[in-house]
Amino acid sequence: MKARFVLIVVLFFAVAPAFADTGRQVDLDWLQIIAFATHQTDYSGTFVYQHNDHMETARITHISDQNGEHEKLENLEGPRREYIRNNNEILWYLGDHKAVQVERQYSGKSFPALLPEQLSALNENYLIHTAEQARIAGFDTQAIVFQPKDTLRYTHKMWAHRDSGLLLKAVVLDERRQVVEQYTFIQLKIGGDIERTQEITGQFTTTLQQQSHFATPPETSTQTATNDWKVVAVPSGFKKIMEIRRPLPGKKTDVIHFVFSDGLAGISVFIETLGNHFNRKLGLSSRGAIHVYSKEKGDYLVTVVGEVPPRTVMQVADSVRYRGQ
Amino acid sequence: MKQEISALMDGELFDDDAEAILDKLKRNPDKHDEWRTYHLISDVLRQSDHVHANISIGIRERLQAEPTVIAPHSRVSHNVRWFALSAVASVMAFTLVAWLSIQIGPETAPQIAMLQSNALHSASLPANGLDDYLIAHQEFSPSSNMYGMTSYVHTVARHQEDKQP
Repeated sequence: MKARFVLIVVLFFAVAPAFADTGRQVDLDWLQIIAFATHQTDYSGTFVYQHNDHMETARITHISDQNGEHEKLENLEGPRREYIRNNNEILWYLGDHKAVQVERQYSGKSFPALLPEQLSALNENYLIHTAEQARIAGFDTQAIVFQPKDTLRYTHKMWAHRDSGLLLKAVVLDERRQVVEQYTFIQLKIGGDIERTQEITGQFTTTLQQQSHFATPPETSTQTATNDWKVVAVPSGFKKIMEIRRPLPGKKTDVIHFVFSDGLAGISVFIETLGNHFNRKLGLSSRGAIHVYSKEKGDYLVTVVGEVPPRTVMQVADSVRYRGQ
Repeated sequence: MKQEISALMDGELFDDDAEAILDKLKRNPDKHDEWRTYHLISDVLRQSDHVHANISIGIRERLQAEPTVIAPHSRVSHNVRWFALSAVASVMAFTLVAWLSIQIGPETAPQIAMLQSNALHSASLPANGLDDYLIAHQEFSPSSNMYGMTSYVHTVARHQEDKQP
């Protein structure tokens, strides 16, 4: 009898942590499912994007076929702004055809799947847990919350379609639980026949008024030239994932670009000579949950961009140093 | 006086002389600095762990007096020279290509002309302010893994340019 009791106690302690682990594993599985769905599902829909006091609608189409990924995003209000991607080639219309810009992606990122490093970074910096189930745009969804462990980053809440894993709603909250920005699908078609326009399947480069091609730079030029600069006070949990010397549109000289990631949010640091910028306003700007902070440092301009609170981008910008100064 | 202080600290003086010097020191506050300096020297010479010196004030003063150099000066003249050199090289290359195209035949010429105009366009492309940074950032940001293209809504959505939050 006593032996049986001991066995039960031992079993309890052996099994309970295993169950706790599976709960956590389920949450992490959701992330993989979301990431996979975002890049491997065919869908087309309209969503509402809200930030500060603004609200506007945008349409998105995503097709994944044997030739790779094709996607298109366009705003439905105001001057036409459009983004079209065919695998690594990106086409931008920014404002009434004035500037059309073709770029080649540097990362050569081929999806899907979150890297194990990204998952473990997410786990270290956020408490991830599943929340309520809700119905959005006519689909059943599961909510997942990313609660940061400090106030240097935002809380993210996402609602994923329970069948496909597609994100149907996402909210970014600050430390006082105020909504910084959010988007919600109001109409969505998943799978089946998604309308393919010419431009989305890749025959678009013929009628451009202006275009610029940025060929992917050779690997060797990326690492060597940038180590003169250091970012000293990167918030804990952010790791450097990239360091590159690259051109930016309208800039005469190349720009040094660092990217830091905590698994969910990214912080970019751009360093360029002052001659590069024409009347760029210094200080803080924002686009929804993305904050931008620019400051002069000697003869250079430092610009920090990230999906993090204003003081985080400011802290990072203030900590950029040239050769240990 | 200096030698006397030094001798006193080394314990080389008789009691009477030592007291006389200590008296002098008490009466002349301006000799206190000498007293401190000699103690500092002896501390440093003996490499004692704890050095009685308030050197931070001096360092701070000298730092404040120095001009601040935060970042290196960009090599403008250097760039101009390189630009001039590359311009010369481009002109030479273009001349060579033009000459070659005449030699080879008219078919290849249009292609070369197109490449040239492309390069021109990229140089005259306007900067879009914040957008260029956002576009560059979004490509690498981990958020695009989860949000996919919807994260690009920041660039597509209408915004008052560079507004203050």
